[in-house]
Amino acid sequence: MKRRLFLASSIATALAGCAPIGTALNDNSSFHHVLGFEGRLDAALMENLPGRAREYSLADISKHFPVDSLPTPTSTAYQRLLARDFHDYTLSVIGAVERPLRLPLAQLQRMPQQTQITRHDCVEGWSAIAAWTGVPLHRILQIARPHRGARYVIFRCMDSDSQGTPYYESLDMEQAYQSQSLLALRFNGDPIPPDRGAPLRLCVPTQLGYKSAKWLREIQIVGSFGHLYGGKGGYWEDQGYEWYAGI
Amino acid sequence: MQRLVYRYAPLARLAHWFGAIAVAVLISSGLQIFNAAPYLDAADRSTPTRRVLSIDAPADGVGRTTIFGRSFTTTGFLGWGSDGNGGEGARAFPGWLTIPAYQDLADGRRWHFFFAWIASLAWLAWLVSSAVKGNLAEMILRPSDLRKLWPMQAYYLRLRRDPPPHGSYNPLQKAAYTFVLFVLAPLIFLTGLALSPGIDAIAHPLTILFGGRQFARLWHFVGMMLFVGFAFVHIFQVLTQGFFNQMRSMISGWYRLREHENVGP
Repeated sequence: MKRRLFLASSIATALAGCAPIGTALNDNSSFHHVLGFEGRLDAALMENLPGRAREYSLADISKHFPVDSLPTPTSTAYQRLLARDFHDYTLSVIGAVERPLRLPLAQLQRMPQQTQITRHDCVEGWSAIAAWTGVPLHRILQIARPHRGARYVIFRCMDSDSQGTPYYESLDMEQAYQSQSLLALRFNGDPIPPDRGAPLRLCVPTQLGYKSAKWLREIQIVGSFGHLYGGKGGYWEDQGYEWYAGI
Repeated sequence: MQRLVYRYAPLARLAHWFGAIAVAVLISSGLQIFNAAPYLDAADRSTPTRRVLSIDAPADGVGRTTIFGRSFTTTGFLGWGSDGNGGEGARAFPGWLTIPAYQDLADGRRWHFFFAWIASLAWLAWLVSSAVKGNLAEMILRPSDLRKLWPMQAYYLRLRRDPPPHGSYNPLQKAAYTFVLFVLAPLIFLTGLALSPGIDAIAHPLTILFGGRQFARLWHFVGMMLFVGFAFVHIFQVLTQGFFNQMRSMISGWYRLREHENVGP
C-alpha cells in the first residue's frame, strides 16, 4: 500500500510538473524556435490550397458581432476624415506595380460590388457571421498590375497600439487573388461603422480574423516584408502569431 | 503456468510514450487556448443562447463556472485563480494547468499544433506497428466480448469471484482501447481540423458534420475530457494491476500473463 501511495504521488507530481516544465521550455529561445517550425510546415502544406470559405444566408447573420481589435484611430487625420464622412479618403496602391493608384472612396463605391456572407473566425476562438460588400482585391490588383517577382501585398492601416506601433497585415499573391479576399465598404448592408474599420477594411474569410485588417490606408506590393516593422508580415505576427492564419 | 509473452513491438512502445507526452502537452496547451475564449457553444457561430459551458469571473476574486445554465462558484480553480506569474487573476483554467503557465495564446497555439503532429504520428505509428508486428487483433473489441463486459465490471466491483474467461486483454480493456484508438482519437483529430478556417475552406462537410465551428470546438473539448477520464482509469489500472509487469511490457515489450489471461483475442 505504501508503494502504491508512493507511485501515485510521484505520478501526480509528474503531471503537475508538466506546466512548469512546459513554461521553462517555452522561455528557452532555441526550444521556442523549434516549435516555430510547425507554423512553417502548416504554411507550406496549406497556404495556397484552392479552398473557398463557406457562404451563408441572410438568416445566419450574427445578431452580435464582437468588436475586438486595436481601438478606433484617434489621430486628427482620422477624425478629420470621419468628420467629413470620409469624403476626402483615398486608398493608395503603391510599390511594385505598373500603375500606382489613388482611389477616392467615391470611386471604390462606383466599382462593381461583391457581397459575401461569411464567417469571421477569431484566433481567440469565437466566430461571427456577417454580410460584407465591397470590391474584390483582385480587381484592384488587375488595375494596378503588380510586377513579376512581386510576392506580397502589404496592408497599412490607420490604427496603432498604445506604444504607437501601427497595425499592418500581408497576404501573398495567391491569397490576395482568391476571389473572396475583399476590400469591404459595407457591413450588413450599411457603410462600415468607425469601430469596424471605416471606411475600408479587409475581409479574408479563409483565414483567422487578424488578417482582416481594419482602417486601410495604403496597399503596397512588395517582394518581401522582412524589412517592415518586426519583419514577420503583420502586427500580430510580430507578436508571435503565425503569418499563415488558416489554422 | 503464467508465461512471458512479447506484447509490444519497439515502434509501438516508442509511439506509446511519445503519444503520452504529446497528449499531456496537448491538454495543457489546449486549456491555454480555451482561456482566450472561455465558453463553448453548440452552434456554428458563437451563440450565447446555445452556450453549454462558460467559465468567467463576474467580480474580482470570484470564479464562476456555468454548465447548461447552472452556475457554480469555482473561485481559486476555474474563473479566478493562479495567473501563472505568481499572482491571481481572472483566468478560466489556472496557470498550473496550462502551457505556458501565464496567458499567451500565440505560444499556446505553437505548442498545441507542434504536439498535434507528434500525437497524430504516434497514433499512426502505434497502429501500424501493432497491426504488423504486434497484437492489435488481441485488443480490438469483438461482438462476443459484449456480454462479458458486465461480468468483468462485476469482478472489479468484487461482486463476482472470477472474471469471465478472456484472452490476453479483458473485455473492459478491449472496450477502452478500442474506444480510445478508433473513436476518441479520430474524433479529437477531426474536430481539431474542423476548427481551422483553412481546412474548413477546402472541406466544408467536415465542419458541417460536427455542427459548425463552435460546435466542433465543443466536441474537441468533450473529447479531451473523455480522454482525461480514460487516462485516469488507465494510470490507476497500471498502478494497481501489477505495476512492474505493466511498465516492463511497455518498456521492454515483455509481459507476464496473469491469472485468467490467455494468449489470443
